[in-house]
Amino acid sequence: MLTSETVRLPSGRSWHVFGGGTGAPLLWLHGPRGVDAADPLLEVLAARHRIIAPLAPGFTDLAELDEIDSVHELALDYDDLLRGLKLPALPIVGHSFGAMTAAELAAHFPERASRLVLLAPVGLWNDAYPVADLFAVPSAQMDDVLWHDRAARDAYAARMAAAQEDKVEQMIAVTRNLTALTKYLWPIPDKGLHRRLRRIAAPTLVMFGTADAFVPARYGEDFKKAIAGAEATVIDGAGHMLPYEKTPEIAAAIERFLARN
Amino acid sequence: MKFHFFHLMPYPNLPPDFRDKYPSVWVDVPADLFDPEQGNRSYAEYLDELEYADTVGFDGICVNEHHQNAYGLMPSPNLMAAALARRTTRAKLVVMGNSVALYNPPTRVAEEMAMLDVMSGGRLVAGFPVGTPQDTVFAYGQSPATLREKYREGVGLVMRAWREPKVFSFNGKYTQLRYVNVWPRPVQKPHPPVWVPGGASVETWDWCVENDFLYANLSYFGYQEAQKVLDGYWACVDRHNLPRNPYRAGFLQFVGVADSDAEAERLYGEHAKYFYRNCLHVAGGYVNPPGYTSIATIRAGIESQIARIAGRANARAEIATLTWKDFVDRGYVVAGSPDTVVAKLTELGDKLNVGHLMVLLHFGNMPRDTTLYNTTRFAKEIMPRLRSRFGDWEDKWWPKDEIAHPAQPQPAAVA
Repeated sequence: MLTSETVRLPSGRSWHVFGGGTGAPLLWLHGPRGVDAADPLLEVLAARHRIIAPLAPGFTDLAELDEIDSVHELALDYDDLLRGLKLPALPIVGHSFGAMTAAELAAHFPERASRLVLLAPVGLWNDAYPVADLFAVPSAQMDDVLWHDRAARDAYAARMAAAQEDKVEQMIAVTRNLTALTKYLWPIPDKGLHRRLRRIAAPTLVMFGTADAFVPARYGEDFKKAIAGAEATVIDGAGHMLPYEKTPEIAAAIERFLARN
Repeated sequence: MKFHFFHLMPYPNLPPDFRDKYPSVWVDVPADLFDPEQGNRSYAEYLDELEYADTVGFDGICVNEHHQNAYGLMPSPNLMAAALARRTTRAKLVVMGNSVALYNPPTRVAEEMAMLDVMSGGRLVAGFPVGTPQDTVFAYGQSPATLREKYREGVGLVMRAWREPKVFSFNGKYTQLRYVNVWPRPVQKPHPPVWVPGGASVETWDWCVENDFLYANLSYFGYQEAQKVLDGYWACVDRHNLPRNPYRAGFLQFVGVADSDAEAERLYGEHAKYFYRNCLHVAGGYVNPPGYTSIATIRAGIESQIARIAGRANARAEIATLTWKDFVDRGYVVAGSPDTVVAKLTELGDKLNVGHLMVLLHFGNMPRDTTLYNTTRFAKEIMPRLRSRFGDWEDKWWPKDEIAHPAQPQPAAVA
């Protein structure tokens, strides 16, 4: 179970940061639903790493977005946090929007990342295989786009319900988090990342599920081509929420990649 | 009470199986359903109808802005208002309005509206809607996270561009301009009255009241369903310690006048069905993207009218099954004999306390003759009986500075 704390920076900006585990630090940048204190993937990674999992701007309070006008300022915001936490270069693992943020951070500040793992990253665009318009999916059907594995989806929903029992507050949290995403992903999620990926210096692993209905797995090859030396793999039969659908496989792949010389 | 003839300019020839065959009337409505020759006839008819409303005594004639929408053929309401400025002389031109966040820079709105005010001799009412998510978020690519902030900054810029007597610089978050200096300048000083058509956002009410803008609830679901929205607005007016002047509110209502209630169904029933079945057939995903509705509005339990029907599968299916009796019983459409219509509009005025009544007398695919008939009867038999309502209140949201003898069209003869 991760614990959370509020980190106040000299600028006045405060961050809600989840943490746990022991070992070398690892930065986790979450996907569309925020940080889950009982995240099973992080539980595995926490055996060998000190997990630092900040909530993306807007996920605590939409007013946080007022001072962040673009992905450039988003990268600066994370740089401020890492500076405030006095963290050295460290592995950065991100999922979905968090993987896009990880790529932006590593492209803006190449020295921040020692390794980069991008799980189903958004951030690129190809007319031939467009990213699905998640924001035009009625909320009741959104999980059909994000998930492929029904059991994993139900288990995740149960954990979310346990963390927040009030149904209205649950819905408001989902809406708030998606609103924060629209600031960067709307209407086309590539905000110039394709021009910046070349700046990433860290060894990079990109993973997609073959059944990702939000970001087609073909984007894995596009990330691989744009980042020097990057590797791309696909996980059979996983959807966009692959960290929770194929947790042991993803955890093992991350550990192998981080342990490599 | 003032009366305004509102036209949506719907495309009248959607196929009978439109609902079953196509997902949405808005955003991704198929291009091949549009026949330019039909469009040509429709624009001519619809402008005729608006011009006719001017001649029979309506206070205002209203046009509005929608994009990629088969029930609103007005991506640019300003083009329609420009045509009307030349061919009308009395009715105010109520442009309801320009979605300011969609114009770059927003001073374009200040310029075009100033042109309309000058061309019409000072008859412009300037409407500034946020715009529906279908128009703004989906058709025009605005992020719902920043749409409202951008809109408010833009409206602030337009107002300042009209008010300030000298060139100024504008250093905004969404717009930066070194030289703002709108030419031509509006006839009305310091600017035309501002109306804000809104669905139902709690923060819009405060903003309207604080800025002295009229708040108009543009609904297709009639006065009975609008009670909660108008109650919220008037409670907001109370909180600001202002009198409940009915002229700071507007409301839109479908109305059909006939010899009898049964005759109303015969004349208007089919066209009302066309509107509710086809024109409100909007794909559920386009009506409520995350962030469009503020968290405060979600907490207040208020839902936009389109979201309410399109966002819920059961309501979406139900709308296609509604009968004329349902439309009338629920107040979506006020229709019947003049006595029936007067009674219901009296009830509307009492309950909602609105001084500016906008009426939709053209429904869906209504032909010109029926529209003109309905318009004539409304003007001659309904308006005079309601005109004196709210007569004790001063209407401060209405054009005042008109040019006494504005230039008229003078077709030049061949020399």
